[in-house]
Amino acid sequence: MNTLVPAIGFGIVTASILAVAGVGFTLQFGVTNILNLAYGDIMTAAAFVAYLVTGAGFSVWLALAAGAAFGSVFSILLNRFLYTPFVRRGTRLFGMIIVTIAVSLILQNSLLAVFGASFFSLQMPRPASVHIAGMVFTTAQLAIIGIAIVAMLLIHLLLRYTKLGKAMRATATDPELARNCGIATDRVIDLAWAISGALCGLAGVILVMNVTSFTDTTGAQFLIPIIAVAVLGGIGQPYGAMLGALVIGIASELAAAVISPDYKNVVAFVILVIVLLARPQGILSEIATRKEVAA
Amino acid sequence: MRIAVTALGAALTLLALGACSSAGGGGSTSSTLVVGEFNPFTGPDAAFGPEMVGGCVPAVRLINSSGGVLGHKLSCVQEDTRGDPADAVPAVQKMMATETSLIGVLGPSSDEALATVPLLNTGHVPMFVDTGQAAFDHSSYAYLWRITPADDVKGYAMALWAHKAGYTRAAAVFGNDAGAQSDVPTLVRAFTKLGGTIVYNKPVALDQSSYRTEIENLLAAHPQVIFTEIDPQTGATFLSELQQLHGLLPVIGTEVTLQAPWLKAVNNAIGAAAMARYFEGMQPYAPPSGPAWQAYNRSLLASGSQVPKPGQWSTDPYSMTYYDGVNVMALAMVAAKSTSPKVFNASVMKVTEPGRGKTVVTTFAAGKAALQAGKQIQYVGAGGPIVFNHWHNSTGAFEAAKYVEGNPVLVGSVSAAQIAELSR
Repeated sequence: MNTLVPAIGFGIVTASILAVAGVGFTLQFGVTNILNLAYGDIMTAAAFVAYLVTGAGFSVWLALAAGAAFGSVFSILLNRFLYTPFVRRGTRLFGMIIVTIAVSLILQNSLLAVFGASFFSLQMPRPASVHIAGMVFTTAQLAIIGIAIVAMLLIHLLLRYTKLGKAMRATATDPELARNCGIATDRVIDLAWAISGALCGLAGVILVMNVTSFTDTTGAQFLIPIIAVAVLGGIGQPYGAMLGALVIGIASELAAAVISPDYKNVVAFVILVIVLLARPQGILSEIATRKEVAA
Repeated sequence: MRIAVTALGAALTLLALGACSSAGGGGSTSSTLVVGEFNPFTGPDAAFGPEMVGGCVPAVRLINSSGGVLGHKLSCVQEDTRGDPADAVPAVQKMMATETSLIGVLGPSSDEALATVPLLNTGHVPMFVDTGQAAFDHSSYAYLWRITPADDVKGYAMALWAHKAGYTRAAAVFGNDAGAQSDVPTLVRAFTKLGGTIVYNKPVALDQSSYRTEIENLLAAHPQVIFTEIDPQTGATFLSELQQLHGLLPVIGTEVTLQAPWLKAVNNAIGAAAMARYFEGMQPYAPPSGPAWQAYNRSLLASGSQVPKPGQWSTDPYSMTYYDGVNVMALAMVAAKSTSPKVFNASVMKVTEPGRGKTVVTTFAAGKAALQAGKQIQYVGAGGPIVFNHWHNSTGAFEAAKYVEGNPVLVGSVSAAQIAELSR
């Protein structure tokens, strides 16, 4: 019991980072049907942008904004000038996965060439520890939780209560029908890349705020849990990704506390497999089954 | 038509002659002989490679300025293993296939040694390994030479240092990679033999986003000190979270934690004051003094165009052993009057082992002159005397260092005799 309550607290921090990253990943896939495996590397690139901003003496809040802005702009450009031409030429899902892996390697090695094989940290004030209901957080972790809550709330408001959100959901469900109904699907897809890119950039910066030290591969190492969150929630389902992040984040920390840290990842992925056996489409998916995932 | 055939034949003959002249470990009289820097230059252990460059380049610089080896210049060529056997095996195969003037390698490290040492040995490539794996304590590989201490020796040194400080309850926080885990068995055995208890011993999965639950479990075991070898990113996350949750405990690390990337990552994460107060690292003892070290350091500091920030390796014992490894190979070639690894490998011991009437030399130039004068030599390197045992292992004492204002400062040592007594 002594370690259970703190473990839940630790799980909430992990879940917060996973939620921001997972929602961005799944939102982008849901609307565009491109499984972007360069996502983790864009996170890393955004972390390097934040590193440069804090290194120049600006606050970590500005670094967060810069990371998000970079992720957004980079994702739009990536889609416009690389992914879309491939899609127009008829490249299918598997081919697109290879293209995104190529982008991942290009990004990773470019970061290595520019910044070198070293370890980097954001220049930010050393966070203080805060005890809340038997759980221990740092001020940076509380900020991460706050950022995740605000981001999730904004995504919820966007999807539920704006025309753009409805257009995104329509495009995600059936792009052809959405286009025939007068929705400018190209613009919607651009905006989906922008929003998911912003979440990706934000996730990169909060990830390195939490781990305190990062390299050119930090984001890529985080990609598997992000994909797990997206798959668990139902690929293409932002609300599912939020739920998936909570399940994986808290379950892995509880497993570490109750069984052994060795089983941290094992338990998280066992849950993933069990859920998928019961609900192959993921916890909340309405879309995945309608998409031609195997196209 | 006849002219074309003749020209083609002549071209093929020239190509064949060219191929013959460059084969077999530097057979031609003017080709540059290659020393492979076979270590990770990228990946989690990317810090290893630059440390190796800090030893190889100054050695080659001095050798070449002394007229080279049997008419050949030497050069250092980086071969990136990425710290992963899956990458290292193709890398070693490619290196042996393409570097026709290869006379030996520095490395491999613990990351890739088990997979690549047999290949290098089969290929007759002398290797001055920097792996500490116990698997090579009683090595039968004729081309393997180890100047750096074995990991089990490292475990004894860490245990002795903690015992000297009065610690009786310790936690072992080592990465789940093969290199780090190979330190653990002897550390546990030695610390227990000294009357201590290892109260927490769990391999750490590297580069996770959080270790808070692991830290809670560790703290529940109430250790007085933490023994560690983890990569810089993991170290930064683990120790900063420990600092936030509880406050730091004294930490005794291996030589990995005394390298610049570890310092940079962890220093940023926990602060310089905490580093100075809580952290000590153990590394092979190579006092920065004496004529061999002075020659090494002068050459190192003059190698700024090839070695970034060369001063950082001045007191690095591993860079010194790489420097010594190149010198030993060069002197063995001179002694054997051959650049063929199959021939000169047998002379490695001849130029290093002590003996009556031998001329002690501390530089390649002095050794070359003595050998050419018909004398027998004992090379004493920047890292000290090199005395290989039957299994081609040579180890010595360990030093403990602290970080003061960002630089490692010697605070004490554990002698080879103490280690030998504990390991009996």
